[in-house]
Amino acid sequence: MQRTGMLREDGIHVDMDHLKKGEVNLGTSIMAINFRDGVILGADSRTTTGAYIANRVTDKLTQVHDTIWCCRSGSAADTQAVADIVQYYLGMYGTTNNEAPTTQTAAALFQEICYENKDQLSAGMIIAGYDHRHGGQVYSIPLGGSLHKQSYAIGGSGSTYIYGYCDANWREEMTQEEGIDFVKGSLQEAIKWDGSSGGVIRMVVLTAKGAQRHLYLPDTGYKGPGEQ
Amino acid sequence: MASVFTAPPLADNGPGYSFKQTPTTHISADGTRQHSFYPYTDNGGSTLGISGADFTILAGDTRSTSGYNINSRYVPKLFKIGGEGPEHTGSSIVLSVVGFAADGDALKERLDTVVKMYKYQHGKNMSVAACAQRLSHILYNKRFFPYYVHAILGGLDEEGKGALYSYDPVGSYEREQCRAAGAAASLIMPFLDNQVNYKNQYIPASGYGHDLQPRKAELLPRNTVEELVRDAFDSAVERHIEVGDGLQMMIITKDGIEEVYSPLKKD
Amino acid sequence: MPGFDFSNHNRNAALHAQGVPLPKATSTGTTIVGCLFDGGVVIAADTRATSGPIVADKNCEKLHYIAPQIWCAGAGTAADTEFTTALISSNLELHSLSTGRKPRVVTCMTLLKQHLFRYQGYIGAYLVVAGVDPTGSHLFTVHAHGSTDKLPYVTMGSGSLAAMSVFESSWKTGIDRDAAVKLCAEAIMAGIFNDLGSGSNVDVCVITADKTTLLRNYIKPNEREKKKRNYKFARGTTAVLNEKIITREQISKYITVHELEDETVTAAAEKMDVDT
Repeated sequence: MQRTGMLREDGIHVDMDHLKKGEVNLGTSIMAINFRDGVILGADSRTTTGAYIANRVTDKLTQVHDTIWCCRSGSAADTQAVADIVQYYLGMYGTTNNEAPTTQTAAALFQEICYENKDQLSAGMIIAGYDHRHGGQVYSIPLGGSLHKQSYAIGGSGSTYIYGYCDANWREEMTQEEGIDFVKGSLQEAIKWDGSSGGVIRMVVLTAKGAQRHLYLPDTGYKGPGEQ
Repeated sequence: MASVFTAPPLADNGPGYSFKQTPTTHISADGTRQHSFYPYTDNGGSTLGISGADFTILAGDTRSTSGYNINSRYVPKLFKIGGEGPEHTGSSIVLSVVGFAADGDALKERLDTVVKMYKYQHGKNMSVAACAQRLSHILYNKRFFPYYVHAILGGLDEEGKGALYSYDPVGSYEREQCRAAGAAASLIMPFLDNQVNYKNQYIPASGYGHDLQPRKAELLPRNTVEELVRDAFDSAVERHIEVGDGLQMMIITKDGIEEVYSPLKKD
Repeated sequence: MPGFDFSNHNRNAALHAQGVPLPKATSTGTTIVGCLFDGGVVIAADTRATSGPIVADKNCEKLHYIAPQIWCAGAGTAADTEFTTALISSNLELHSLSTGRKPRVVTCMTLLKQHLFRYQGYIGAYLVVAGVDPTGSHLFTVHAHGSTDKLPYVTMGSGSLAAMSVFESSWKTGIDRDAAVKLCAEAIMAGIFNDLGSGSNVDVCVITADKTTLLRNYIKPNEREKKKRNYKFARGTTAVLNEKIITREQISKYITVHELEDETVTAAAEKMDVDT
């Protein structure tokens, strides 16, 4: 069996076979979207080792600077290590230049690490941030380490089930409420169809006002509690 | 990534699953697929048998395992052979099997049927010696797809002495004084050699150097044997993870088969 | 260069190719758990160490000291958990000395994850890290590949599923110290009795802001059965083919000999069962 490369013969499924034995896997549904006032990141909360759910309330939305966050998918260890390194660099950048880094800078840093170490990493990341110069931006870095600026991005094993849903329901310049409903609706479908996604839905809303976390529990049909 | 989920749970089929081996698919470089399935499982556990002057004792723990899991704390490894009805009335032969439990069950059913048929056709009970040879043939009949078990057969011979036969999975057999089989055989057998056949024991002050006289083995009384069996299993439980939960003992005498169950450690 | 010595790697790879099996490491097929409570954190472990299906140690210690208020429960390869925790404990103490501050649990967790990530899972240490520091009580799991999780209750090792079933059915928010200790002990017992890789006794460690309490063998549910028979051999049972007596004067040339004051006192650290 080939050890690297992103696509199986069906052209869709990402080859995760080079995950090391017993490695903790973020078999995931993640996404980030642009909306009128900024960006929204969303993720499920399931972490698995084989068929066992190692963590049912995982936080896959990771802060790397004040208003720059990322969604992690793939190996938990790899994505945590990459995010930690980027957080360190952006922290240094912020203090030495006395100016917050842009989302593009953060995304470029992520890409550099993911591309240069592509042989050893299984990390699929979505970077989203808000800066005063460019407003909200969404970048996607799939397994090979390429960088794509998108109006919205979806990723992880669960994303394969919601390409149609997202394409049908996506609109530019949504309001915050519409954006949250879009993310929530998409992730609900992903969780419903993908066995390795599940648990709660976490979101982060990034606007000029800063970062705001949201939480939606399955007990109430993902209705609440909402803003944290 | 969804493909990870349809494949066997863990690449090495590590502990945590009740199947030792799930069906697997290997795809080689040229794209050909090889499907494979391993039909055997090791269900762990241990058995032992000791024969005396006018009795034979067979014993086995009652734990059934696969990997690091316990399937059940009570799955008997000892079976009465050739008796009538659900209580096996009138039986005087006991078969113990350890290894792959499903094969053990199948083997027990075959032998039980054979011994019953013998009685119906000849109007008399099968002797242990005949039963022992028949069991060997049943095992060898599956020489190239063996019953994955280590069997021990116990009873009383035609002179009323304790008789014990032990088998390898393909039917090689031998009458012995004592035998341990299964997961903890390598732990129990040396103990039995020393305590039943007095191996490595010499008579104190019976000579110098190579002239020292080895201690002669004698047939042990029933009470001693029962204590040895308890101690053997209590010790095996301490050091082997697949042995435990309960100890099933069957004592075959001229009066029939006595069955004794006592608990073992459950960790 | 500090770190591991890989000079035997090529030789061992060549031997392995010729069919020589790799040496079997003692693995702590284990149940370890941890649980936060109001005012502190508790971790617990079973005490069985195995080598394949054989019990290598019936009463080993899987709770490792990191700092006075930070302790670690280890599963996986016994040597890896032992040395990794010792290394991080040492580094954390040096860090604490140079900063003049008490060590923090996040610092410990970060050192562990960075060390383990560097070795890409080849260091088989699966850890539950717990402690109380000036920022509060914390509980983490660290996997061999370097990923970490932060949760109010955690389990790891081969018995983690059995133990987690106890937490998932009985854990409640706002649990107090005694309830947390009881719950952790119960979770370990579930591992001991339902997972073959776990067994023997329950060790517990309770950490609060003012003190750490290590409850070694908190529960002993698996005492050895008393032997039915006496296995003492008569003197002279073992064949002696030749005999050589070395006097104290002769051996004193090579080692120092001390006279024991009481003949019944042996120098052995642990007492052994001897048939009388």
